[in-house]
Amino acid sequence: MTFNASSYVDPEFGSVDRRIFWSPEIYELELERIFARSWLFVAHESQLEKPGSFLTTYMGQDPVIVSRDAQGINVFLNSCPHRGNRVCFADSGESRQFTCNYHGWAFGLDGALKRMPKMGIYKATPGFRMEDWGLKRARVASYKGLVFANFDEAAPSLDEWLGDFRWYLDAVLDAEDGGTEFLPGGATRSVLNCNWKFPADNFVGDIYHALWTHLGGAEPTLGPHGGVKVENERSWHVSVNGHGWEFNDSFYGNAATMGDREVLRYMRSRQEAITKRLGEFRANMWGSVASSTIFPNFSFLPGYFTFRTFQPKGPTRTEIHAWTLVPRNMPDEIKDRFRRGSMRTFSPGGILEMDDGENWEHSTAVNAGWVTRHQRLCYAMNPQDEMAETGLAGNVRAGQLSDFNQREFYRQWMKMMDASSWQDIELAPVAGPAAEAVE
Amino acid sequence: MNASASTRPDYSTYPRLTMAEARDAARQLIAMRGAGSTVDDVRLLSLQRFYAMEARLLDEERYQEWYELLADDLFYWLPLRQNRHRREGGDGADPDAMAFFDDCKADIAVRVGRLASGLAWTEDPPTRHVYVISNVEGFETGVAGELEVHSTFIQYRNRSEHDDATIVGRRRDLLRIAGDGYMIARRLVLVPQSVLLTKNLSVFF
Repeated sequence: MTFNASSYVDPEFGSVDRRIFWSPEIYELELERIFARSWLFVAHESQLEKPGSFLTTYMGQDPVIVSRDAQGINVFLNSCPHRGNRVCFADSGESRQFTCNYHGWAFGLDGALKRMPKMGIYKATPGFRMEDWGLKRARVASYKGLVFANFDEAAPSLDEWLGDFRWYLDAVLDAEDGGTEFLPGGATRSVLNCNWKFPADNFVGDIYHALWTHLGGAEPTLGPHGGVKVENERSWHVSVNGHGWEFNDSFYGNAATMGDREVLRYMRSRQEAITKRLGEFRANMWGSVASSTIFPNFSFLPGYFTFRTFQPKGPTRTEIHAWTLVPRNMPDEIKDRFRRGSMRTFSPGGILEMDDGENWEHSTAVNAGWVTRHQRLCYAMNPQDEMAETGLAGNVRAGQLSDFNQREFYRQWMKMMDASSWQDIELAPVAGPAAEAVE
Repeated sequence: MNASASTRPDYSTYPRLTMAEARDAARQLIAMRGAGSTVDDVRLLSLQRFYAMEARLLDEERYQEWYELLADDLFYWLPLRQNRHRREGGDGADPDAMAFFDDCKADIAVRVGRLASGLAWTEDPPTRHVYVISNVEGFETGVAGELEVHSTFIQYRNRSEHDDATIVGRRRDLLRIAGDGYMIARRLVLVPQSVLLTKNLSVFF
């Protein structure tokens, strides 16, 4: 299709054409140009500790198996190259191989074809080579426990893709010794009739909605009118390659809405040590009033420590898969309090999340109207904001009540949609403290 | 804080379970497999009446009256369902795992507080509910005044113009006989969906 993304997004003033949330053609191009060549989150290493352990998930609409063998973590398509059938139907488990239901083709933990019934016939087939017919593999790389995969051989490394954002990610991934883990039991999963970009853009920079959307959910734990303190004093947006984090320096502002005093007491007891480890600025990001998206569809909330993917299932359908991440060395009782606190706020039964889905669904569905579809959406809040005087890495702006990160999210979207290959996509040079980690 | 802030309920004083008590309750629910002798027909009829009344309270959003049916040591659990191979035990509910609901009575009070706040925009205009309860079976537990009750439900919701959601499932309850009625002390809600095919659970089961 002839498509000019820059005519759909104005990242300077801040406006977005609504057809990008509705058009099946644009969605098809997103699968190719965004999802098939971005580094996508697939697992946390704690989910795959033993050789033989596996889980199944999605990269865009492509089903994949993530498995650990003696060499490490592999990611490959969950589709048999013989007749295309899905190979593994379990969400997770342990296995020595994956055997297709249809004709019994069997694949190893690295996706390689190992055997099939009547193997002799294939062996006698001129030109047939077992190594040509394995499950298609993706590139795999990790950052401090988070495993990402990418099907594009031409894509830059995960370190270049995350760039200076890694330095900020350490505020949740490296706040304590021993790294992090996902709490057990898999993901809470639910379906929304919305375009995947609405939840992703909500998490990349939209604290503004909490002041209104979440009043009903916040009142029981924080008092009348929510009590959520959101101001532009001592708060920031930071954006790198479309990844964004909006936050203040309240240390446990988000965690407070879980309404569990023991959690806050514990977090306070860790503040000094975390400050020593990360410095005051990043330590204050640990559980603060904040939200973040790693482009395109992997988001998290400090404080609740819910980590989630917004899996695209069509232009107007999205699945949320959500886990809770905790420091591995946290006491079991506090982990359990985070398990319950995060599920009671941010799961489909959570008193805060319940108020989000309807907004995103209706922001999507109204675009069925042709006239409606042709009125642009406003992302103009705080367009003249000043570069914050922090000396910090990335694109940092003062004030979290801003659409800055959302404009940068759509700028990245526009760049990738317009580029026919990775040669035409430029990533931000790594400039800040995170540069040390790049080879 | 304005004056009304001081009238906010102090949820920290509401009935709670310790973590160990909640785990014990979860294990008790997992073990409830209808092993006791069945209750007599008079008892069964009164259980059916109780569930019909409970369903009507929920349909009519009479949440405070429904809340009064909950015992102070309530454990209310809606675990995740997962797709696991049979050789790995299928999808048995795990008390330590993430869940959709893993609540004590104080948590239910917070949820009722959200609905009663007048600020939950996604419930205004109101949702219309229909709750159908069937397959009610009662069993003796061996503890005087306590009954194990299994039932199935269909919970249908519709709001706005076309928004609807149907949740079908199974419940296992531990009820306490209280005069002519019952108090709900434990409830396990088993929804067959591993991916919840609706956007939220702004409802009780």
